[in-house]
Amino acid sequence: MSKIAFITGTRKGIGRSIAEHLANSDWTVIGCSRRDSDFKHPNYHHMNLDISDEPAVVNALKKIKKEFGAVKALVNNAGVASMNHLLLTPSESYQKIFQTNVLGSFLVLRETAKQMSRNGGGRIINFSSIASPLNLEGEALYASSKAAVESLTKTAAKELAPMHITVNAIGPTPIETDLIKLVPKETINQLLEKQAIPRLGTQSDILNCIDFFLKPESDFITGQVLYLGGVN
Amino acid sequence: MSLDRETILSIVQTSLRELGEDLNKADLLSTDENTRLFGSRSALDSMNLVNLIADIEERLSEDYDIDITLANPSAMSRTHSPFRKVGSCVDYILELTTKEV
Repeated sequence: MSKIAFITGTRKGIGRSIAEHLANSDWTVIGCSRRDSDFKHPNYHHMNLDISDEPAVVNALKKIKKEFGAVKALVNNAGVASMNHLLLTPSESYQKIFQTNVLGSFLVLRETAKQMSRNGGGRIINFSSIASPLNLEGEALYASSKAAVESLTKTAAKELAPMHITVNAIGPTPIETDLIKLVPKETINQLLEKQAIPRLGTQSDILNCIDFFLKPESDFITGQVLYLGGVN
Repeated sequence: MSLDRETILSIVQTSLRELGEDLNKADLLSTDENTRLFGSRSALDSMNLVNLIADIEERLSEDYDIDITLANPSAMSRTHSPFRKVGSCVDYILELTTKEV
């Protein structure tokens, strides 16, 4: 079985960690980000890509197929966040957040699923957030973009099931990454109190979910959003 | 790169033939311009048509370096769907690939 994984947003944070993990687990990993990555590994190949640029996404997936073969696993990790009271949120934030989190996830999913459908199927893992089920104050746009990703996940799961493609999502708690480093400690603590297990998540928590969705035995699991920390 | 009508017809028929082999549907192994692609008189169901369109797009991209989206809003809003028969589908692809050039 071909083991080509495409991961978006691999320059740092969770995406980087997933890229390192899969590259060390016998996957050939193609990662992307808007800017260059300093991650070097014999099984890792990086491309600069804006996932909200449709022609660029089409070309990138075409290039991956030509050079490495059809993608078997997609980790749709790239995302942007923004915290602000909605009365103070400019429409530019909407453009920025929805372009990457929703449009970007959709475009990469669509192009990858086309390859998977002709090559025996595959696994697609999207990224939601606990911000969506918790309807977190100050994250109106981020949470609603993740709600859209969840809906996309569930609908895509149904449409792609006949092609042997599973589509699931992970909903992480806050993790020590750049995405939350500017969030005040007090806000993070308030958020943690809403979880059944009130601690920050770790990269290992995410990698465990990735391994679970990629396991051959998980071929009967699709359309699910797996929240961490006991949120639902 | 522009394609002539014969080449496009051959791409569509090859896609149909391979789909017919996968689905074990004899009607798709030998097709002509009048073969219906959807409706009650077609051997394809809606998912088969989706697969066919995706397959044709991929063939055009991989073999001829032509990247087009067949199921675009303009196709969907036409009074007569370009996907009703093999012949109309070929005409439509010819129209799009000519525009592309």
